[in-house]
Amino acid sequence: MTISMLTAQPLPASAEWRCVLADGRVLTITASRRPRANRADVKCTVPGAPAIGEKMQEVVRLARHTEPRFDSRDQVLLSMDIVPSPADRSWELAAVLADRKVRGLLPNTAPRLYAHGWSDCWHLGRVAGQPVLAISRASSHLSAADVFIVGDDASAADATHASHPGITLIQHLGALSGHADPSSAVSSARAWFPLHSGGINDSLSWVEVSVYPIDHGGTDEEDTITASGLDLAALKAVRETLCAARHFDGKGLGRWRTVVRFGQPRFQGESYQLALVMADRLARGRDFVPRGRLIASGCSGAWHAGRVETVEGREPKLELILKQAASGDRILLPQEWQAALPDSYRAALKARGASLACIAQIGMI
Amino acid sequence: MGLFKRFRKPAAEISGLGRSLIAARLDEADSAPADSTVVVFNPAGHARRAEAGRVVRNEGDTVYCFHPGPYQVDLTPFAAAPEIGLRLRFLIDAANPRVAQQRFDLFLFSEAEAELSLSGFCAAVQGALQGELARGALDLPPCTSLDEWNEFRAGLNQLLYTRFGVTVDDCVPVDLGDTIDFADILRARAAASPAIALPVAASPVVAPPVPQVAVPPAAVTPMSAAAESFTAVAEPSAAAISHASLYAATGQAVADVAADAKALRRLFLELPVLSGALRLLVLPDGVEIFKSHQAVLRRLSLLALEVNTMPSLAWAAPDQPLESAQQSRRCAHSAAAISALDEGWALLSRLQLESPAPWAGHEDDTDRICANLEYHLSQRRAARAQVDTEDSQERKEPKL
Repeated sequence: MTISMLTAQPLPASAEWRCVLADGRVLTITASRRPRANRADVKCTVPGAPAIGEKMQEVVRLARHTEPRFDSRDQVLLSMDIVPSPADRSWELAAVLADRKVRGLLPNTAPRLYAHGWSDCWHLGRVAGQPVLAISRASSHLSAADVFIVGDDASAADATHASHPGITLIQHLGALSGHADPSSAVSSARAWFPLHSGGINDSLSWVEVSVYPIDHGGTDEEDTITASGLDLAALKAVRETLCAARHFDGKGLGRWRTVVRFGQPRFQGESYQLALVMADRLARGRDFVPRGRLIASGCSGAWHAGRVETVEGREPKLELILKQAASGDRILLPQEWQAALPDSYRAALKARGASLACIAQIGMI
Repeated sequence: MGLFKRFRKPAAEISGLGRSLIAARLDEADSAPADSTVVVFNPAGHARRAEAGRVVRNEGDTVYCFHPGPYQVDLTPFAAAPEIGLRLRFLIDAANPRVAQQRFDLFLFSEAEAELSLSGFCAAVQGALQGELARGALDLPPCTSLDEWNEFRAGLNQLLYTRFGVTVDDCVPVDLGDTIDFADILRARAAASPAIALPVAASPVVAPPVPQVAVPPAAVTPMSAAAESFTAVAEPSAAAISHASLYAATGQAVADVAADAKALRRLFLELPVLSGALRLLVLPDGVEIFKSHQAVLRRLSLLALEVNTMPSLAWAAPDQPLESAQQSRRCAHSAAAISALDEGWALLSRLQLESPAPWAGHEDDTDRICANLEYHLSQRRAARAQVDTEDSQERKEPKL
């Protein structure tokens, strides 16, 4: 069972999350766990500034309302090494993420983790921030392997976060695993696909599909789909893929206005298509939702029939997926790869709590 | 007492039995419809099933009648994907002669009130299913393979039998796109939060920014049962004010006396049965497993004792009424204890799936559920939330 898989991995004893403050100093929020023993669920200490500690406790408690699993056994201690100015709220996201990481909810193995963001409704999991400012401030601190999670206000051009592979913009805590915000009027879902670029630079890249209801149908479906940062040929391929897949869906055409964004807008090949189609189905509320991320690789010459065909680069992609898979992730691969998969591969994924399916067709079974 | 006979429930109310109504409580002079089954609970809570017709009842008996079905409902397994659902057909099976108490009878006695409507039951089943999927106890991933579907079906069947006492007849994935329009749901969200400006139709689309104002409370559905922050009500701090106002706004702070009483009644009735069912599990051999099984049973019987001796909601001590903020804190904790109890039933269904039960794999979850029940019941018992006194006194962490 998956629960036992979840708990089979040892929890970290402590977690650190950093934030570059408005005045340029780097704040480190350290979270650690200890048995509850009738104490408060969250304890926050900020030397010399108890008001900020209380604020941090409130933020963390409110953000916990978006979690489905409640555990009263542990106390989480959060502490700051320096005192931020009272007006600066950009550390809030770092506190929330550190609290999750120390309880094993975020499988992040990067050497240093940075965050910037705040929210007025943490109980809904919304995150806001100033990405352009934050990225320019933090850029001198980020090294190549670091991860930087930034609250998004939709003002940043796509090129800003492509400057560093570890930067992720989110508007909602669930976006870290690609889920749509349950209270937003725009439904946007992400799916991940392996980008093979010769060994060391292999990475998982994401594609995000945002849909918004259209008031009058009848226009050409391809005109309602936009993608920023893509050249014309890639844009055309994205539009054709989505149109054909929605045609297969039956109820997808003429209802939505769509924006597609890529984590890395510059790539070659067609293996992103399955991830794109699945993100579209998730955003339109037409497919079962995985607990974690959806990682897919596959293309098709016949999306209108829902067929999934094989892509190149099997070995490095399998290796990359195994390295990056975390608990709850769903991995979709083309049917042709099934024969070449060793049994140990499936078992290794299962040990990480991820599940794998080789499919010849999208949709149920 | 035939005095009020003519005010009795009109026959039309139970005529929906078998269609929109699963079960109804029968009053003194009511007679059960011909194709239904009658369950009579004596004052001690013991049930016996009887043939339909005029009910012979003793003093203090509670009588329900239910229609065995089958019923068909559409469930949404994921709140985020409203256009795909599961079409579930279930029925209430004949009594199992091997058990002392039928689970469905317990469900009726403990959770149904005057009537058990199909829509209310469907909402309860959907809540249980969504919770299990979110916690990862059941898996229904996109592009489900046949093996995964069969595993899901086995888990779902057992969950519904163990938690609600109904037998799943058939369950198929279904496209709900004809009845539910996700686009309309999104439009309603946009209308509810005025900060989102509708993008101009002709211009290329830009995802509207997430508004910074709070959505009206009607749209708020926090998933978690985490009632932790209720403790803040007791703390005289700035944070406490915003917590209190949040819960006042979402309607959770209103002391709901009836809900608290119902929650305690459920715990009183169901905890002994749950612990009895856990005791009956066939476990793998091993001293460690035996010990941890015994420890869990001991904890559950202590919890049942705690429920049986729970102080009343409105009083801090004899002759000392409790202020309403503390009453609502107590209510919140009894509601959270109920959700822990539901998780306990779901855990039992996972343990019952295999024989011998996979106890070792679920040890952590068992411990967590017991700890949550203990925590919420102790908070329900306390008249006021304990302020964390750690800082003022003692308990220094070792320092290097």
